[in-house]
Amino acid sequence: MLRGCPERLAMHLKETGDWQRNTKDSGAAFLPGNSIEKRRAADTLNPVLTNSRMIQMRRWALAGNLTDLLRWAFVCAFLTGLSTRAPAAEAKARARVDFNRDIRPILSDNCYACHGPDSGKRKAGLRLDLKEAALAKLKSDNFAIVPGDPAKSALIARITNKDEDERMPPLKTGKHLTDAQIDLLRRWIVQGAVWQGHWSFIKPERPSPPATTGKRWARNPIDQFILARIEKEKLKPSPEADRATLIRRVAFDLTGLPPTPTEVDAFFADKQPDAYERLVDRLLQSPRFGEHEARYWLDVARYGDTHGLHLDNERSLWPYRDWVVSAFNRNQPFDQFTIEQLAGDLVESPTREQKIASGFNRCNVTSSEGGAIDDEFYMRYAVDRTETTSVVWMGLTAGCAVCHDHKFDPISQREFYQLYAFFNSLTEKAMDGNALLPPPIWKLPTPDQKEKLDRLNETLAERERVVRDAVAKVDYAEPPADRKPSEIERGDFVWVEDDFPAGAKAESSGADRKWIGEGRIHSGKRALTRTDKGLAQDFFTGARQALMIGKDDKLFAYVYLDPADPPKAIMLQFHTSDWLNRANWGDEDAIPFGDKGTTQKLLLGALPATGQWVRLEVDAEKVGLKPGAKVDGFAFTQFGGTVNWDKAGLMTATAQEDLAGISQIEWEKQEKAREKKDVPKPVEEALKADDAKRTDEQKKLLRDHYIANVYAPVREPFSPLLKARDEAKKPRDDLDNSLVATMIMQEMEKPRPSFVMKRGQYDQPGDPVTPAVPAMLPPLKSSGTTNRLDLARWLVSPDHPLTARVTVNRFWQQFFGTGIVKSSGDFGAQGEWPSHPELLDWLATEFLHTDWDVKRMIRLMVTSATYRQSSAVSEALRQKDPENRLLARGPRFRLDAEVIRDNALYVSGLLIEKMGGRGVRPYQPSGIWEAVGYTSSNTAKFEQDHGEALYRRSLYTFWKRTAPPPYLTTFDAPSREKYCTRRERTDTPLQALVTMNDPAYVEAARHFSERMIGHAKGAEDRLEFGFRLVTARQPSSSEKAILRETLKKHLARYQSNPDAAKKLVAVGESPVNDKLDSTELAAYTMVASLLLNLDETLNKN
Amino acid sequence: MNFAPDHFHPLSRRHFFKAAGVGVGRIALAGLMFPELARAATAARTSVKAHPGLPGLPHFASKAKRLIYLFMNGGPSQMDLLDYKPGLEKIYDSDLPDSIRMGQRLTTMTSGQSRFPIAPSKYQFKRYGQSGIWFSDLLQHTAKVADDLAVIKSVHTEAINHDPAVTYIQTGNQIPGKPSLGSWLSYGLGSECDNLPAFVVMTPSWSAKRDAQALYQRLWEAGFLPTKHAGVALRARGDPVLYLNDPPGVDKAARRDMLDALAKLNTTSFKRLGDPEINTRIAQYEMAFRMQSSVPELTDLAGESKATLDLYGPEVTTPGTFSHSALLARRLAERGVRSIEIFHREWDHHGDLPRDLPLQCRDVDHACYGLITDLKNRGMLDETLVVWGGEFGRTVYCQGKLSKENYGRDHHPRCFTMWMAGAGIKGGTVYGETDDFSYNVVKDPVHISDINATILHCMGIDHRRLTFKFQGLEQRLTGVEQEATPIEGILA
Repeated sequence: MLRGCPERLAMHLKETGDWQRNTKDSGAAFLPGNSIEKRRAADTLNPVLTNSRMIQMRRWALAGNLTDLLRWAFVCAFLTGLSTRAPAAEAKARARVDFNRDIRPILSDNCYACHGPDSGKRKAGLRLDLKEAALAKLKSDNFAIVPGDPAKSALIARITNKDEDERMPPLKTGKHLTDAQIDLLRRWIVQGAVWQGHWSFIKPERPSPPATTGKRWARNPIDQFILARIEKEKLKPSPEADRATLIRRVAFDLTGLPPTPTEVDAFFADKQPDAYERLVDRLLQSPRFGEHEARYWLDVARYGDTHGLHLDNERSLWPYRDWVVSAFNRNQPFDQFTIEQLAGDLVESPTREQKIASGFNRCNVTSSEGGAIDDEFYMRYAVDRTETTSVVWMGLTAGCAVCHDHKFDPISQREFYQLYAFFNSLTEKAMDGNALLPPPIWKLPTPDQKEKLDRLNETLAERERVVRDAVAKVDYAEPPADRKPSEIERGDFVWVEDDFPAGAKAESSGADRKWIGEGRIHSGKRALTRTDKGLAQDFFTGARQALMIGKDDKLFAYVYLDPADPPKAIMLQFHTSDWLNRANWGDEDAIPFGDKGTTQKLLLGALPATGQWVRLEVDAEKVGLKPGAKVDGFAFTQFGGTVNWDKAGLMTATAQEDLAGISQIEWEKQEKAREKKDVPKPVEEALKADDAKRTDEQKKLLRDHYIANVYAPVREPFSPLLKARDEAKKPRDDLDNSLVATMIMQEMEKPRPSFVMKRGQYDQPGDPVTPAVPAMLPPLKSSGTTNRLDLARWLVSPDHPLTARVTVNRFWQQFFGTGIVKSSGDFGAQGEWPSHPELLDWLATEFLHTDWDVKRMIRLMVTSATYRQSSAVSEALRQKDPENRLLARGPRFRLDAEVIRDNALYVSGLLIEKMGGRGVRPYQPSGIWEAVGYTSSNTAKFEQDHGEALYRRSLYTFWKRTAPPPYLTTFDAPSREKYCTRRERTDTPLQALVTMNDPAYVEAARHFSERMIGHAKGAEDRLEFGFRLVTARQPSSSEKAILRETLKKHLARYQSNPDAAKKLVAVGESPVNDKLDSTELAAYTMVASLLLNLDETLNKN
Repeated sequence: MNFAPDHFHPLSRRHFFKAAGVGVGRIALAGLMFPELARAATAARTSVKAHPGLPGLPHFASKAKRLIYLFMNGGPSQMDLLDYKPGLEKIYDSDLPDSIRMGQRLTTMTSGQSRFPIAPSKYQFKRYGQSGIWFSDLLQHTAKVADDLAVIKSVHTEAINHDPAVTYIQTGNQIPGKPSLGSWLSYGLGSECDNLPAFVVMTPSWSAKRDAQALYQRLWEAGFLPTKHAGVALRARGDPVLYLNDPPGVDKAARRDMLDALAKLNTTSFKRLGDPEINTRIAQYEMAFRMQSSVPELTDLAGESKATLDLYGPEVTTPGTFSHSALLARRLAERGVRSIEIFHREWDHHGDLPRDLPLQCRDVDHACYGLITDLKNRGMLDETLVVWGGEFGRTVYCQGKLSKENYGRDHHPRCFTMWMAGAGIKGGTVYGETDDFSYNVVKDPVHISDINATILHCMGIDHRRLTFKFQGLEQRLTGVEQEATPIEGILA
């Protein structure tokens, strides 16, 4: 069910031991088992070392010391001299043990947790990852390791101790050394206990491709490395795959889509010796290449279309996704690709594209969960970026050092936080606000939009200038502070008429608010109306000009109760700082607010007469509003019935002057008190600042804003100016808001300080740290401030030992199914030993020498003879190398999720090859988002798109991270919540259900069947055509017979049941071709579905 | 439903490779059309499930063959349900003493409150069963099986918000990306049935019609484990399992014809290419075909007696309710599904708790009783572990306005209550104690990793030894760092 699965390896690691038996049986060194572990062991048995291998090892040995090197050279020479004449057992005893290949994995797996780099957890003072420490005298006066003398080495005594309590590793760790491992350790000590630096931390040097016996097979240096190993294992490479297989394989690998029959024919017809190479070149030029290659990158970049945490709302990063596609299509060199993604915002005068690229590190999941603590999330985001960047470029599991020193690799906790410091100073907010575009963002106008925007901005600037000039001419003086409101003749001050007062924040409960413009209106142009079965109301607060209550004042409002549908009760409520002043008419118990008989709920009598406008009056003092009180809101409340409200205000002898209109100080006071300020951001900032602390600039800003927008005496001359300005502002804002934008990186002006976080706790900062790189790697050249740009440049500097290796390894994994280093996300001590170390180094140096040319590297891999082999496998070869790590045959494995779907769309002719844009939402069973979604999330309900969107490449499918598309995750697509450097490849019945029953596949099968029917008259030709569409090859006669037979059965079935046929062909939103007989169409649809489900269709062969 | 007696297969995977000459996990082909496959199938039939577990597992004789996890998403209020605090009535509306709060962090939803008034539970508590365990009236049905439950009052976690906290208890880590409990069990112990997935998840509806906290598929996904170990959602609407039903116009016979032809063509490919995975694929299509019958059979309750249905409460026949899901859980358990998890939402009662909590309890209370009783009646409780709980607890102080009748409670990670029952569990036990305010654990603290270690223990797994190497570490459900211990005091 599962291929290339680490679990298999884990299992075999625990059952080494039978390799010895196998070896004895055969009497020769050969590959006995199916795990790397065994192959490592087998390697040590083979005394024939290639030259390059020796050079390589010597170089690694240099990290030990000169004595080691000399001893090492001697042993090598000795062993080489012995060659194969020695009997196997003797050869084994003398065979060179290689520290990196044989010993480090044992120590790392079993010992480093307590005797490794982590100083916090180190036991007995013993450290086994560094030579000096391991050879030092222990507290017990013993030596753990005495080179050349296992009997004196305490390590050997402890690992072989009969007493379970004494034996290492301790029983409770669940770890256990096999006899083979103990033997290796013993032999390593006998041979002098040579240490080597960890291979991947040493800069690769270019090995020469080894000489091989089979001269003609190799097409490029890759093949020499592969063949040398194959020959060493006494195997032969497989013959080249047939052309049909080859073109299909390479087309899928380079574009994610199959070749068309025409392309296959052309390839067959091309008799030139470089036909295949030209085919590869053509595919590399296809825009489909970038789309396909981007998909792998988006897995490592953890790209998604939602925030990922909690609400999981939509967010806009798709311009970044499109940038990745275009970067691959433009064949952007990998070093530039790196720099722009990690620091596109920091390069000199960044282009729009470079800013977009910096979105790489905005792809992490973010939250805005209520109650969450900012510092905790700032830390999480920075940790995620540090971890992701380390894994993706360096294959380093730096994340292990968040809480303590790394247990296996030389990365201290301090060094982790030094890396973290590069990513800890973004201008982002900890809480993303569940926004589509949480800042920092970058707007992306099209050239047209840009031009239009410029024009609108110009107009706006001009009109703003007019306002500014007018403001400058106004002479403003603050009125005296002790000024009393003047008394006037008592009368109505109308506060609510046709609308709520300026600045009011209006709300409703029950149905939406409704104003009517005709019918039951008392005065003015409109009135409020509301019908409800229970409690309902319209209310507002925050009116800019509050009502000033004076002595003997009465609040009033006009009401009309529908005689056909009267309410049980009505209520007027008045807002000061709270809602505690209420007047009630009708049933006192109907409206539940306030304690009866108090100013909070004063009953003023029965319901007023129905069918007429009634003026309600409320004695202000009786509801607790004393002279001097300020009322800034009313609520019009009812229980049941139909009620209209109109004109409301205050009957008063106090002049309702707009104090804010004549006093800037009063305005500032009011504005500050307001919860939601409707002033521009800088004005808000100035308001917030203390009077004394305001800069001159802020003072001027406040005054100008006040005069322009509030100061009453100049309202008349100003209002046309402001209107003109607002009219210019609206289209500018509308356009600006409609622009596509994307999330980018942006540094704070002053970096946020970083600390070593004790035990990885966000609230436990320890020592301060500044950006720096781990000491075991080459030094970083700083441009002065030491920022992400320096880090990015450092990663792609020629001295860096990891970036090129890790990157070419991922390309290799893409084409061959498994990386040369299988643990493609871990090149550290716990990572797996490379199957072909020299080849990896050769490829890494080649990548550097060719200036990080991605297409060239890919071309090199897919034009190798290794890649071009047939993937057919004999039983013997499969037994010997089930995972195909030796590559004595071509790669064969199941296509990835997206490729499977795209293939079905493509062969059916449905695929829309439109590139880029916001994620689309093709068919998906109902209830997937709903089952998990937070009800108020904007992705809680799935709304399917229609038309073209149903048939786009899967790359463009909208990616909701808490519920990703099931038709893709079923085929091992990751959730994109976290980086993924390698997808698993499983085989489950749920996958069969997708490709058989998902409407997308059923609809594709119908169109595929139309293509078959349209292709030829006869069944034979149609079926052959269909078969070729999915496999690229001709069917055999027996395959044809099976297809014919199954078509016949389905035809018979649908002819006897035409209704069933109609139902089947109606699946999907595309119109049914009514020119075709639906029974025939249905029968071919079943055959098409069969073809789409063939193992050969679902696999790269 | 192949209940092979030796459900932890005796053959190593590689041995099986050799013996059968075909792919891992290949299973008998219905119809046995091809002699070579038939031979292989017969050879393997005795030991092979849909997918086997790891060699060497279980680590020790297990009591529980399967797990039913009733997850109350949102954080149920422990002091209104199981953690009885009679002293609080007397200090209604008084301030939470600083000596209790001890400056511990609060969420930003209440950290700004000017005071933290004590909100005693308004519900009545009684002792139930021989063991005299306290239950509030809201759980009076569950209370009837008190003597089967181990109530753990001292569970605690570090996470204080939903997303990290749920992710933590379900995957062992607050950060997304780790495998869920059920997928670990599928990975470690394998599947016992060849027509249903090893890990099934249900997400029933809830009665307090409010904005319910989200779920995340990561709670049942496989993280870095192979995807086949991910939980499969059993849905109340549409296809019960995604894409299960054949398209309109395709009947069983048509599907069978298609699959026969597919197997023939794929066998041709196998002969040509020799890749054993081709046979695996054939087997998976056959399993899909079997699922097309086994799932409808599973969800068809016609065979259930009225007495059984009554156990689960009045909503049991309404698809999508918790009761219905609980009954399906038993049916899944009968059919050999390894892990069954029901995620019931909306237990997040910041305000109006007295309005919403009773509705939530009404959803689950009767069904919890029904499930335990039903399992017991069928002799299945001895081999089924049942777990009930949420991601954290709630504060004793009131969030927002307090009255005797109405109050709300904020998140509280420092202590909360869960219960376990069934295989491996000592019924009628109360474990752990909290202080008089249900604010701090004062005796026998149980970290959520201990809960997970206990679950694994009951399933025969030493949590330290169920590992998967990923990113250089031997990853495990209880975390690479946590020191977790099974709760000795509740184990039978």
